[in-house]
Amino acid sequence: MDTQWPRWEVFKQDSPNKPHQAVGSVHAADPEHALLTARNIFARRPQAVSMWVVRAEDIYSWTQEEVAEGQMTKGESYQAQVGQYLVFRKTSHKRSMTFVDYVGEVEAATPEEALKKAQATFTDALALAWWIVPADRVYKSDPSPETIQSWFAPAKDKTYKQQQYYATVGSHISKHKVGRGVEDEE
Amino acid sequence: MPVKYGVPSDPDYNERLAEFEARIKRGEKIEPGDWMPEEYRRQLIRMISQHAHSEVVGMLPEGAWITRAPTLKRKMILVAKVQDEAGHGQYLYHAAETLGVSREAMLEALLAGKAKYSSIFNYPTLTWADIGTIGWLVDGAAIKNQTMLAACSYGPYSRAMVRICAEETFHHKQGKEMVLLYAKGTPKQRQMAQDAINRWWWPALMMMGPHDQDSPNTEVLVRWGIKTKTNDQVRQEFINEHAPEILEAGLTLPDPDLRYDEKTGNWLHGPINWDEFWQVVNGNGPMNKERLEARRRAHAEGAWVREALEAYAAKRQRTAVAV
Amino acid sequence: MRSEVREALIAKLTALADDEVILAHRGSEWTGHGPILEEDIALANIVQDELGHATLWYGLRQQLDGSDPDQLAFFRDAYGYRCCELVELPKGDWAFTMLRQYLYDLYEALWLEAAQHSTYKPLAEAVQKIMREERFHLQHTQAWVERLGQGTDESNRRLQQALDMQWGYAQQLFVPIPGEELLVAEGIVPDLLPLRERWLEHSTRHLQNAGLKLPINPGYQPTSRAYHTEHLWSILAEMQSTARWDAEAKVW
Ligand SMILES: [Fe+2]
Ligand SMILES: [Fe+2]
Ligand SMILES: [Fe+2]
Repeated sequence: MDTQWPRWEVFKQDSPNKPHQAVGSVHAADPEHALLTARNIFARRPQAVSMWVVRAEDIYSWTQEEVAEGQMTKGESYQAQVGQYLVFRKTSHKRSMTFVDYVGEVEAATPEEALKKAQATFTDALALAWWIVPADRVYKSDPSPETIQSWFAPAKDKTYKQQQYYATVGSHISKHKVGRGVEDEE
Repeated sequence: MPVKYGVPSDPDYNERLAEFEARIKRGEKIEPGDWMPEEYRRQLIRMISQHAHSEVVGMLPEGAWITRAPTLKRKMILVAKVQDEAGHGQYLYHAAETLGVSREAMLEALLAGKAKYSSIFNYPTLTWADIGTIGWLVDGAAIKNQTMLAACSYGPYSRAMVRICAEETFHHKQGKEMVLLYAKGTPKQRQMAQDAINRWWWPALMMMGPHDQDSPNTEVLVRWGIKTKTNDQVRQEFINEHAPEILEAGLTLPDPDLRYDEKTGNWLHGPINWDEFWQVVNGNGPMNKERLEARRRAHAEGAWVREALEAYAAKRQRTAVAV
Repeated sequence: MRSEVREALIAKLTALADDEVILAHRGSEWTGHGPILEEDIALANIVQDELGHATLWYGLRQQLDGSDPDQLAFFRDAYGYRCCELVELPKGDWAFTMLRQYLYDLYEALWLEAAQHSTYKPLAEAVQKIMREERFHLQHTQAWVERLGQGTDESNRRLQQALDMQWGYAQQLFVPIPGEELLVAEGIVPDLLPLRERWLEHSTRHLQNAGLKLPINPGYQPTSRAYHTEHLWSILAEMQSTARWDAEAKVW
């Protein structure tokens, strides 16, 4: 049986005052490897200053529909005593590259309780989806300036993979109205 | 997660289906965990995994020229581009995984020859100018399709597409820049560019798939907001943009019937050779065997690597528990 | 700058760049063929970085003698290339590739750290840029060596085999090129002797922690960069085939 390694959800922070956002997932063997991999996949282009990874199976998710239907339990609950939970939320149906954004932490005994607390705490916008993550399951990239320089800054110099680098190519479509496909054929 | 993939035999199916379709009409995104028809899920898995396979197999024709790129810059650009295709495959497998299908299973289907991928990648890259032409035409055609899919109703697929489109624009532009440069270059460069256009034009038009009347899935896909345009609409957009630009560059297109239609503002093309298309789809293209073989080899040769890291992680887990 | 120093610096920059070009070439042979998508992408990052480093080193040479980087890369033959033999060896399996990249990255990271205070400003500036990327490379390849070494019996065996093969070749990284002592005396580049000590210490510790057997009988240790393995000719024939295909072409 093949293994593609476990899946880890990746949260990327674009700049220091923006929230971490769910950008996708990576397949990796262990936490350190998952962080390195997340950097390799999701920081090929700017912007990033920090990344978090969480094993996909350690995430508890609820959509608005599930909440409305009162589906409050999520399989076997994570066996935790009282602890911190990270809360992520999606608030818009607009087209986007990212899913849920980090909004803060709550203290709770179970993911279900964390969800209830999150609903009571983060009331500034309608939640279309919630992700609740036990804090001890989150692995974070090193916040030192040295690591930020080495992991995230170089992408800014790789201008050849940004479309603006080729901006002046060709002319606009509106200029072309007449002509036959083969008129220039030798 | 309780499975909520509805089937018509469910007592509340029609009611839920109406709700579901109303959500799509309102422009809401369907997210993992939401109720959806099993058929919606099935169609998405089919489309997304095919799309992912196409990105991954699509690395091969261009990848073959990385070691022969003519300048340091072109080499870097090409590595970045082929790398992006791997990234696109990676994002798309992720989107499919949210529907409860594993990457292991999707890859197994690909390697067993049971899964489809875009047949354009079963054509060979014969010269360096093919690299520019693929970027301009093949990525150009892909962008048209992907821009449409970025609006699709399934959240994870839509998000993957938004990310992919942003990257794909670079692919398109670097290819176009190259072809335009060679079209104005030396006689040999010009000839190389023209030859590449001649070989890739028709396969690029086939990329959008059969004509609408021959495309059985289109209706349901449009109704559920997976596709928002038909194959022929997307094909027309592609031709309208690319045909005039190629002609303006002083290159020709291998279609004697191609003409601009004043009334509709469309560039009309001659008949597409669908026999060739189906030949390639059904495994008889020039490169079908080689492409699949390359994927199989990479997968087989990587098996011990994947096992090693899994073993390492298991050992570390044990030590962590012991401590 | 005295002309002997200038000549030596040109030669050193060429050697630095040639190493990166050929190493990147070998790495790029994996693109599309890696053991898993994520690692295909990861190695392609390293390849792009190393090509970028080569471009920077050739660029510094260009400032000194006006030579064009692409001319140097695509129109010099095996007689003219000054890469070390380690980077020329065929790509081998994933263990071979990761180990070579690790041994090279460790050398490069240590060299850069020591070259930060070069008295030659343009070089010191380039070092700052390159160093950021090499820190990450080293983290990445170090992680791979540890995991393959401690993974399965098979991965350990393959890694050990790669090490036995590469160890002697890697020593060439610390052989000064003719005239290098002039550059060291001027504080332009670091002395390779103490660097070698640090490299040996770091690599030995990490490799042993990964469960590999050291010391190793190094066997053949190349010294001159004027001669190469039997592979370089073919690498260049392939790499330069498009650039040389059209004698009239000025731009690509
Ligand atoms: Fe793509
Ligand atoms: Fe480097
Ligand atoms: Fe490196």
